[in-house]
Amino acid sequence: MAVGGTPVFVAAGGGILGAVEALRLEPALTPVATPRAAQVLLVVGEQRPSDRIALARIHAQLVEPRATVWWRTDRLSGFDLGTRAPESVSDAAAFISAQATQSDAEAILLDDAPPNPWEGIGPHGQGGKGMMGGTPYGRPMAMTSDDLRDGLSLDAYTATFGPYLTQWPPGLIMETTLQGDVIQSARIVEAPLAQDVLAATPHLELARLLRLLELPALAERLVRAALANPSRAATGLARAVRWTGVLSAIPAGLGRDERGGDVRSRMAGRLHALAAGRPAEPAAPGDVAAMLAGLEWHEAALVLASFSIDDLRRAIVSPAVRMAKDAA
Amino acid sequence: METLLTVLVLTGIFVALVLAAYRASGPRCSPWPQRLPFLGGGEADTHAWQRYHVRFYTMTLVFIAFEMEMMFMYPWAVVFVEEGLKALAEMGMFLAILSLGILYGWREGIFRWQ
Amino acid sequence: MSLAAFPFLAFFLTLGAVLAVVLDAVARSALAGAPAGRYLAGPLRQAAMRLSGQLVTTEAPDRANWRLAPGWYGALAAAGLAVVPFDEGLALVQLPTSIVLWGAVEALVVVVVFLHGWSPNAPFPLIGAYRYVATGLPVMLPSMFVLIGAALPARSLDVLAIVESQREMWNVVRQPLGLLLLLIVGLSLTLRGPMDYADSADLAGGSSAEDSGPARAMWQAARLAMLVAFSAMAATVFLGGYLGPLLPGPLWLALKTALVLVLMVAATHLLPRMPVSRMVTFLWVVLLPVSFLHLLAAGLVAL
Repeated sequence: MAVGGTPVFVAAGGGILGAVEALRLEPALTPVATPRAAQVLLVVGEQRPSDRIALARIHAQLVEPRATVWWRTDRLSGFDLGTRAPESVSDAAAFISAQATQSDAEAILLDDAPPNPWEGIGPHGQGGKGMMGGTPYGRPMAMTSDDLRDGLSLDAYTATFGPYLTQWPPGLIMETTLQGDVIQSARIVEAPLAQDVLAATPHLELARLLRLLELPALAERLVRAALANPSRAATGLARAVRWTGVLSAIPAGLGRDERGGDVRSRMAGRLHALAAGRPAEPAAPGDVAAMLAGLEWHEAALVLASFSIDDLRRAIVSPAVRMAKDAA
Repeated sequence: METLLTVLVLTGIFVALVLAAYRASGPRCSPWPQRLPFLGGGEADTHAWQRYHVRFYTMTLVFIAFEMEMMFMYPWAVVFVEEGLKALAEMGMFLAILSLGILYGWREGIFRWQ
Repeated sequence: MSLAAFPFLAFFLTLGAVLAVVLDAVARSALAGAPAGRYLAGPLRQAAMRLSGQLVTTEAPDRANWRLAPGWYGALAAAGLAVVPFDEGLALVQLPTSIVLWGAVEALVVVVVFLHGWSPNAPFPLIGAYRYVATGLPVMLPSMFVLIGAALPARSLDVLAIVESQREMWNVVRQPLGLLLLLIVGLSLTLRGPMDYADSADLAGGSSAEDSGPARAMWQAARLAMLVAFSAMAATVFLGGYLGPLLPGPLWLALKTALVLVLMVAATHLLPRMPVSRMVTFLWVVLLPVSFLHLLAAGLVAL
């Protein structure tokens, strides 16, 4: 086995986040945040069949030669690539690391064609007519729209983000319209997936926040403590996190929930829970999409991470359930 | 002239290093699906390049005022000890006026993401 | 110009970058509570792997700017280090105004990081690029106040003269606030920890989110080069540079540079990063007035 970690992009599904944190600690692997940096696509946990296209996109974005490994999940139908890793964490890590060097290059599952035809179309070859029309390089240009905050009409950028953003709860898909770095509107396409018990410990919930505050080493210490014993009171660890000044780094009043709490108070609550060795109090986010509108990208990520995944799931009624309710 | 030449040579070395690294790299061409910008599995409606909504543009105007002030500070630093308290008082007045500008800007909310 | 300084410059950049990787690994392992080996082997192995990896492109990037940005960044680090004297009279660039050249390097870093994030035509790098400009511009103001403050007792803008002015007393004793402020500037120049607004975690790596293979390896290497250049500069301006008893000058500078590296790495791993608008307000409303006071104090001490 090679020394040092094989860079892997983890496409996490449901019921697996705690196990993923354990896998991240294996010396044979280095988890990365973007497929551009990864050698292996690691698909873990229960996957929604509807995420097949998203998974194929990530798979295509990997650098060549790409390899897919499935862990604690079955292959999605129509995604007949890759191998299954053994169940245990340490065996899986060694297996995944070996795949990076051994496997043959996998072909891309998506068609090799631009999103829209453009070459040779239009008077300037921009793929259409008019000053702003057309689809240069297969995609239209952004168009102007009014802004939430200052009313300046500048370009709006609309895209679906997720379900495999490592800085968001796994499974969350949002159609987001941005102006600059501020979210104008967010529409939740899919709710985050339910996770295992370990993922709901204050340790791991704090670790996700600390990563967003650029404190990955401290986050790792919390993960190690959770894996050793998630129910033991970690007073010293809570104090160490407090001393970095994380609470004062977060603006007051960010992401108010229905009980008046904000990101800062929810994080403080998690620190209390960590020091007392009990789970954190649940919170009621209310309308998550409305809460994110008007927030800068980093603030929005902090708001999402400040709620437990169960809180978010309870607040986000999935579109299917909503439709059934409306019909009834 | 010597300085310019030195900086040019150093720049040349680093650009050559980077280009040599690219030359030694693996496959170069990217098929269309690989070119899609990373959005965690999602797709974008449009290109990312846009008339970007720069939230801090008012702040940059205050910044220009301070950058100009820096130009005066370079010669000021050289003669500071000879001129003594006079130089200190002059720069103090200058900075006090600029500070009022910051206070006014703060009150108007130019450092917020508006 | 002293060509004899060139080997020292190359030596500082390579050895300093290696030391920075080691220190980062030690800090991570100390904080995470795990042996340092994995943090050390990981980056080295990945660098080797990436150099032979695929260079992925995006749909319609500005290829020249994207590919050359790591080169410009590294070149700025080298140009900055060129004004640092390794011993009496041993600097690659000798100018009566060499501190101004360093100031220009700082300003151009903002341009290079912006181009690196803007050029791939992808949302995460783009947001990282604009966000970096928002903090990179105001952070230059404390930097200039600190460097001017250091020039006051030297009565010169020459870095050599600034070192010589510290024969009796290091600037860190005369102007303790200055080093602190300059470290914040350094964190911003090298995109680290609390000032990492370009390559941040919430953007999946921000300006380098779309970087692959050798482009990724070179960008990370250039960041390390800038870290070394900055640390050598901070050691020169505040810790007396090559001055010291018994040992030869270059060795003293190397030791002091290592000390600044330790401070930078510690700050990277111990301080949280604020959301960008909070940081911009903090820079203007707290840090800038503090640097005014610093200049006032430095001026009074110099008289």
